[in-house]
Amino acid sequence: MKTTACTLLILAALVAQRIVLADDAEKIDGFTDTPMEAGGKWHVHDPARPQPEVVTPGATFSQGAPAPSDAEILFNGTGLAKWVNARGTPANWHTNEDYVETAPLGGGIRTTGKWADFQLHVEWASPNPPHGTSQGRGNSGILINDMYEVQVLDNYQAKTYADGQAGAIYGQSPPLVNACKPPGEWQTYDILFESPRWNDQGELVKKAIITVLQNGVVIQNHYELVGMTDGINAALPWKSLSHYPAPHSPEVFIELQDHKNPVRFRNIWIRSLHLGSNL
Amino acid sequence: MKLNLLTTVLPTPRSATFTPHQRKNPCPCGIVAFTNRLFFPALIPALVALTLVTARAANYPEVTIDGVAGFQDTPLQPDGKWHVHDPARPQPPIVTPGTFSENATPPSDAIVLFDGKDLSQWVDKGNGGPVAWTVADGVATSAKGDIKTTREFGDLQLHLEFNEPTPPRGDGQGRGNSGVFLMGLYEIQVLDCYNNKTYADGATGGVYGQHPPLANANRPPGEWQTYDIVFNVPHFADDGSLVSPGYVTVILNGVLLQNHQAIRGETNWRVPGEYKHHLSTGPLALQYHNNSVSFRNIWVRPIPVVNDP
Repeated sequence: MKTTACTLLILAALVAQRIVLADDAEKIDGFTDTPMEAGGKWHVHDPARPQPEVVTPGATFSQGAPAPSDAEILFNGTGLAKWVNARGTPANWHTNEDYVETAPLGGGIRTTGKWADFQLHVEWASPNPPHGTSQGRGNSGILINDMYEVQVLDNYQAKTYADGQAGAIYGQSPPLVNACKPPGEWQTYDILFESPRWNDQGELVKKAIITVLQNGVVIQNHYELVGMTDGINAALPWKSLSHYPAPHSPEVFIELQDHKNPVRFRNIWIRSLHLGSNL
Repeated sequence: MKLNLLTTVLPTPRSATFTPHQRKNPCPCGIVAFTNRLFFPALIPALVALTLVTARAANYPEVTIDGVAGFQDTPLQPDGKWHVHDPARPQPPIVTPGTFSENATPPSDAIVLFDGKDLSQWVDKGNGGPVAWTVADGVATSAKGDIKTTREFGDLQLHLEFNEPTPPRGDGQGRGNSGVFLMGLYEIQVLDCYNNKTYADGATGGVYGQHPPLANANRPPGEWQTYDIVFNVPHFADDGSLVSPGYVTVILNGVLLQNHQAIRGETNWRVPGEYKHHLSTGPLALQYHNNSVSFRNIWVRPIPVVNDP
């Protein structure tokens, strides 16, 4: 009798969960008219691609982490001297206390400095109270060389397609888990990036590789990028397949994206990595 | 043995704590406690005598180059450039770290292995019995034997904090030596490398005996230091041959020391790493290496292998 009751309870729970999942799936924005990704299983921005498991990060990890001695401080609250806008003119984002905020429609800002392989620490906070849904909610990004994007988004208790979530390599690789903090709270990205390399004949010999810790949780682990974020179709770059650009220098700049939402950044520092020196 | 003007050859005497048993199961962190400079001059005649008497000890001649003690009678690493524990291998550049993930609270999916209360998730690595380590004031301190977790893990992310004895004692590998053994087999070195030189592949954050850390990012003894480690297990075919090596990423005090570094095999002393077939999970182990090193805030998360279920 007890066993039967237990079984019934478990069955009921399973059915309930299914309904919730089906319900959730309906709420996820995305696209199925897009090309298939490299693995052949999912469309670019596929709403059916499984949502990363939610992990509540610890209260603190590297929030406010001081820069190591060999790091270059890109922003610590006192001006944007190391940044320009895409046209090369002075960066026009708003600084306030210890943070800088996107100037919606003001365009992205990028570093004047460039690095090849690097370790980047950056903190960001989504607008609070939140506005919008899916990709319209606290959207920004870390655009490496304006080519390779680590997504910044408020998908805390908010749905969007998996390959567009915070910490995704946009359009390619969802985060391993959803480790977002609530809007308004400072979140950390600790990013390890290896630049792509081409040989003298212009052939790609090493793809870009990235590791990302969000709030102390590893969400990309040495992921090899399929290509740059903008797809091959210039008219619909965000809905077409990724590819590598023409050869470029391994030294790349960091750009913070203006995606029309007021997202804040603070405590940004970067270290050049001399990989291979310990092989 | 090649000699140059900067090179002196020191025999390594048998230390009281270095038993024949340990020699058979080589101690992965070296045994150079006797190179203490204050101690050494008075000991030269004794050491020479000891070398003559204990021929076996003389089989391990220590070499000191630019103040770095190590070995050059060991096999070459696969790149053919450096011996295992080579004192001539370049010292990692010193980077002064900030605080980083000190006291980081565990994510919701983490398994807390030590939260300051007790070592109930750990047993003695040698005999599986109770640990000999002490717990006081929220800190676990190494003593009389390695410890390992009762649980086993595959691919993982590990956070732990360690603190080196202050005032420091000993030199080289004899100063604040411990280690994190992934799967109980692959060592990420723990050593007090703050103002203390040792061979590069034995420095803190080194894959011991294989890959030196990219930087020397040690904090002074007495200050808490953080390890954030991501590890992917090696994989073996049914016939026991290696399919893919283990990979490790190590961040010490917020400074990257190993970037998805391919591990060459099980950690050993004086020999290059070599893989032996094992299962896809294993315990985490912490080493007791004759020094009292303290630990706190240890948590681990099993991680998915790929982003695409």
